[in-house]
Amino acid sequence: MKRGDFMKKILIIEDEESICNELSELLKNSGYGAIVLENFKDAKNEILSINPDLILLDINIPYINGELLLQNLRKESNIPVIMVTSKNTEADEVLSISYGADDYITKPYNPTILLLRINNIFKRVEDHSNLYSYKDLTINLQKGVITKDKKEISLTKNEMIILGFLLNNRNKIVTRDELMTELWNNNEYINDNALTVNISRLRNKLKEVEEEEVIETKKGLGYILL
Amino acid sequence: MKFNKYLKDKILTISLFFLMTTTILLMLLAFKCNISLIVAILLTLFIFNITFILIDYLRKRNFYNLLLLNIERLDKSYLVLETLQKPHFYEGELLYQALYEINKSMLENVKEYEYAVNDFKEYIEMWIHEVKIPLATLVLMAHNHKDNFDKKQIEQIKRLDNYIEQVLYYVRCENAEQDYLITENNLDKIISHIALKNKDDLLENKINLIVKNIDYKVLTDSKWLEFILNQIINNSIKYKRHDTKSYIKISAKQENNKTILYLKDNGIGIPSKDLPRVFNKSFTGHNGRLKGSSTGMGLFIAKNMCKKLGHKIEIKSKEGEYTELQIIFSKDKHYEVVK
Repeated sequence: MKRGDFMKKILIIEDEESICNELSELLKNSGYGAIVLENFKDAKNEILSINPDLILLDINIPYINGELLLQNLRKESNIPVIMVTSKNTEADEVLSISYGADDYITKPYNPTILLLRINNIFKRVEDHSNLYSYKDLTINLQKGVITKDKKEISLTKNEMIILGFLLNNRNKIVTRDELMTELWNNNEYINDNALTVNISRLRNKLKEVEEEEVIETKKGLGYILL
Repeated sequence: MKFNKYLKDKILTISLFFLMTTTILLMLLAFKCNISLIVAILLTLFIFNITFILIDYLRKRNFYNLLLLNIERLDKSYLVLETLQKPHFYEGELLYQALYEINKSMLENVKEYEYAVNDFKEYIEMWIHEVKIPLATLVLMAHNHKDNFDKKQIEQIKRLDNYIEQVLYYVRCENAEQDYLITENNLDKIISHIALKNKDDLLENKINLIVKNIDYKVLTDSKWLEFILNQIINNSIKYKRHDTKSYIKISAKQENNKTILYLKDNGIGIPSKDLPRVFNKSFTGHNGRLKGSSTGMGLFIAKNMCKKLGHKIEIKSKEGEYTELQIIFSKDKHYEVVK
């Protein structure tokens, strides 16, 4: 887990203490810095002084409605905002998006999906190029090709999604559930067996260019890209 | 208003007239009046009386016939007073006034219920938002402290969530007109949400989700449609068959002016005698009794929501083989023009 300067700050704007606590814990466990907004009275200026990398914003908050706060905030800042709310209507979603929310997710949400959405927004913001270098390999996720020297290996879409996720979470244990969620989020609705098969295929392909095992299995936990 | 019935109603007046005429006749005869005078007097009496009855009849007929006709024509017959002019005869005026007062008091009464229902609806909606907070906390806790929670507990939380959603959408589609917003939505995005939502359940139950050819745009409210599809997927999971490799196939097809979404499973199916009633309120049928925990509300709410959104929902099934739901979205030409 990376700490310190690289840690992304996520601001939680939510008046329900129990959710704040659990949400902070979830974010901290995933390697983010979580800050809970204490003072709702002057929310906009608080946000600007905290200057987080991302905001999780509830619609029902004291003093000012979340949508209104977002609208005010957008006049001065482009901090990514995910609306997290129990209001589950199309109108609220359309309104939030039109005020400049980057995403909209309703309670009760699946924590893995929330983390995935957060991750996606950071990826979008950083405008990651699809070129990764890993050890002495060059990996182009867009094309699904791994190159070493002159040797080229092509990957299937599923293998690409798995490798991409592992690369984005290097040196961190990735659970099967997270991999599965990432795959399903990319409209690849595969089952448990298929995931196992895909991972072993990916391993075999990597073996063609790398001597040692790069994807390690952590029994009962998941996988880790060394 | 029928003339013979009117005459029957006027029987007292008419008999009195005959009594009076007879008396006058007898008096004239007793006073030995001129025969021609008697005939003239009697004729005058007859003519004036008949004219009087006819005029009275015609005035009333116009009013009452219009009243009856309009009651029949209107689908909301309580609005009939708005279609009539105030009559110019006393009985009519009385009736008109009485109807007006009755209407007014009825409207007040209805309004009272409307307020009560709206209050209740608002409370339920608010309550649902409130109850989702502890629910969301529970889900987060379960994720953060995996050691203290097992899958069965999470499953129960998910069931709770589903029942709460049912109440929410039942309240919304029974009572409100403005709670949905039709926009252009991608089917694959909606299916993706549903798939993610049910991912754990599907994997746990080893049901393969096969999604093909759903890259179509439809006019709908995505939240409502997600709820509808979620009910269908939940049923497929609940009523899967154990003796075979289970699957749910989702696909779509475009035809002339409509897009059809198919959701087919290879579950236990529905007995043909139950099939026509599965969309009925509180209908649980043979399968519901089999599983024991069916409310019979899911498909009923789904059907009502489809009706409001202007979609059609159809079901096909063979017991022991499959169940297939079809949702038919029609294309709106106006929307194309506006766009």
